[in-house]
Amino acid sequence: MSPLLAVEDLSVSFGRSSLLDRLINPFPLPGFNVVDDVTLSLMPAETLGLVGESGSGKTTLARTILGLVRAAAGRIVFEGREVATPSDFRAMRRRSAMMFQDPVASLSPRLRVSTLLTEPQVIQGLPMQDRRAAAKALLALVGLPASFVDRFPHELSGGQARRVGVARALAMKPRLLLADEPTAGLDVSVQGDVLNLIGELKRELGFATMIVTHNLAMIRHVSDRLAIMYLGRLVETGPTQEVFSAPLHPYTATLIRSEPIPDPRRRSHNLAITGEIPSVFRRPSGCEFHTRCPLVQSRCKTEAPIYRPMGAGRLVRCHFPLQTGGREREAVSRASANPRGN
Amino acid sequence: MSGTLAASGLSVRYETPHGSVHALRHVDIEAHPGEVIGIVGESGCGKSTLVTALANLLPANARIDGAIRYNGVDLAKLDAHRQRLLRGDEIALVGQDPMTAFNPVLTIGDQLVDFQHHRKDLSRTLKRARIAAMLARVGIADAERRMRSYPHELSGGMRQRVAIAAALLTDPGLLIADEPTTALDVTMEAQIIHLLRELRREYNGIVIVVSHHLGVIAELCDRVYVMYAGEVVEGGEVDAIFHDPRHPYTQALLACDPARFHDRLDRLPTIPGSLPSLIQPPPGCVYAPRCGKAFAPCKTIAPPLVKLTACHAARCYVATP
Repeated sequence: MSPLLAVEDLSVSFGRSSLLDRLINPFPLPGFNVVDDVTLSLMPAETLGLVGESGSGKTTLARTILGLVRAAAGRIVFEGREVATPSDFRAMRRRSAMMFQDPVASLSPRLRVSTLLTEPQVIQGLPMQDRRAAAKALLALVGLPASFVDRFPHELSGGQARRVGVARALAMKPRLLLADEPTAGLDVSVQGDVLNLIGELKRELGFATMIVTHNLAMIRHVSDRLAIMYLGRLVETGPTQEVFSAPLHPYTATLIRSEPIPDPRRRSHNLAITGEIPSVFRRPSGCEFHTRCPLVQSRCKTEAPIYRPMGAGRLVRCHFPLQTGGREREAVSRASANPRGN
Repeated sequence: MSGTLAASGLSVRYETPHGSVHALRHVDIEAHPGEVIGIVGESGCGKSTLVTALANLLPANARIDGAIRYNGVDLAKLDAHRQRLLRGDEIALVGQDPMTAFNPVLTIGDQLVDFQHHRKDLSRTLKRARIAAMLARVGIADAERRMRSYPHELSGGMRQRVAIAAALLTDPGLLIADEPTTALDVTMEAQIIHLLRELRREYNGIVIVVSHHLGVIAELCDRVYVMYAGEVVEGGEVDAIFHDPRHPYTQALLACDPARFHDRLDRLPTIPGSLPSLIQPPPGCVYAPRCGKAFAPCKTIAPPLVKLTACHAARCYVATP
């Protein structure tokens, strides 16, 4: 089966100066890659979790895939065809949809729900008999009452606004749904609701999903595969259950260990990671994680590891990946037993 | 100075053009020096109103009933001047957003000097020395240089560390941390939790941690109050709350947290229904409309707080000791 979406060596650069800038300012800042050399694929009906801390470039990657940000290098292949020109992207966006991070802010405050839900069809020039009826059908799909068509976004709760966002994203029956932090700002009892809804509709309509998030506890239950980003690069990909049970990259291991556990009997007393995510302006030499890695060795500081396959369907960017045995992972916890979190 | 904090029968309502919003109803909480108290609940449960009431920062349209006793003094009845003296001296607040906690046009050092305004006995040099020591204490390397930085030059995690340092510089008897890690990444969150846990070893006042994140509460607190729709529905030691929850809402809330399940769930658990209106709260139990165990009296008569053990209580008819 060929992938629905393939991203090859994709880089996105910010801060690159235009010709005019260079004429005015003889010393422009060098451009820096917020997304660097990302290779990724998504099968039809698959759910991929794209995980990383803030500033890791995960949202930028999602936006670039839909053509909202211009790539500096690399290829995007959607349904077997390369997407390069603006008209390619327009055609692709007819078959794909994005749910933006802030559910209320992504709905125009002066439009009613009926207008918001049918805008995609109008923009794409699809024939529609009755806009209100179409909107009501979409509301029914996401389990909201038909009376909501006359509401304004401020009259919706956070969870309801999310549902409207899901309905709007699915208005064009996309093959690909990109959801940027679909549960940010939602209460834990409502978060499950939105994810269950996306899951049900996915089973029914068979689209592929890419969920961009930093919420590990949630993504563990809703994704088939995980891709972990650090400073704009992928550091590990693999099937979700395997990545959680036996992470290969020390960064993945520390992310999983950093998550607070809702059980007072299992308080973690050692700090899994210290220090802060470095800036993309000054990428560390060698392996970019070496400044924070509990298992750092001298080779990591000078030589950048390549992104290489390890086992079935798994890739890792590390010289000394953690093995599936327990010993190395114990070493991570011991090495990171630093009493001071600085 | 540190003393016991006790709110009893505390109710807060906001007068709005649409009617009174009963944001907090008959809340009883108690905290002793050296304890870390957790307040957990979802949005709209009243945890922010409770914290603002404790810090005496409620807006002008708020009406308070009941008492907040701190060290034998009823905070709710103090005049504005004495409230002002208490804040920033006895009571310190660490907010959710470390970006807006500081003035963007003053250096960190200058602002931290101002935080110690009540220490008339210290000279500016001594105050700066205290700051340097405190910044080092909260894990900021190169404290001298950081004191000359402006807030935007620090990362979110570092600003939260500075906010904690600022709060501790006032030697508060009551330290309130309102969602202290919500704006941070998971690796920074772990570091701030670790820092707060370390600090409590030397700090002997009361710490109140407010969060919607069950993991943060479980990692940090000694005792927990669970809030729902403006009421404390259950309170007890952290182990009892997480391992022997007795109120149906606490049970449902814990069951919803995906972090508690290791194997993949096909459907994430949720709590069906929605919050009751706070303008007209239900006459009976606030959770009855969503509760699977509700029976006739739940809908009409508010259940009393049932004492289950010495310090575990739940507001529910179904809970029995």
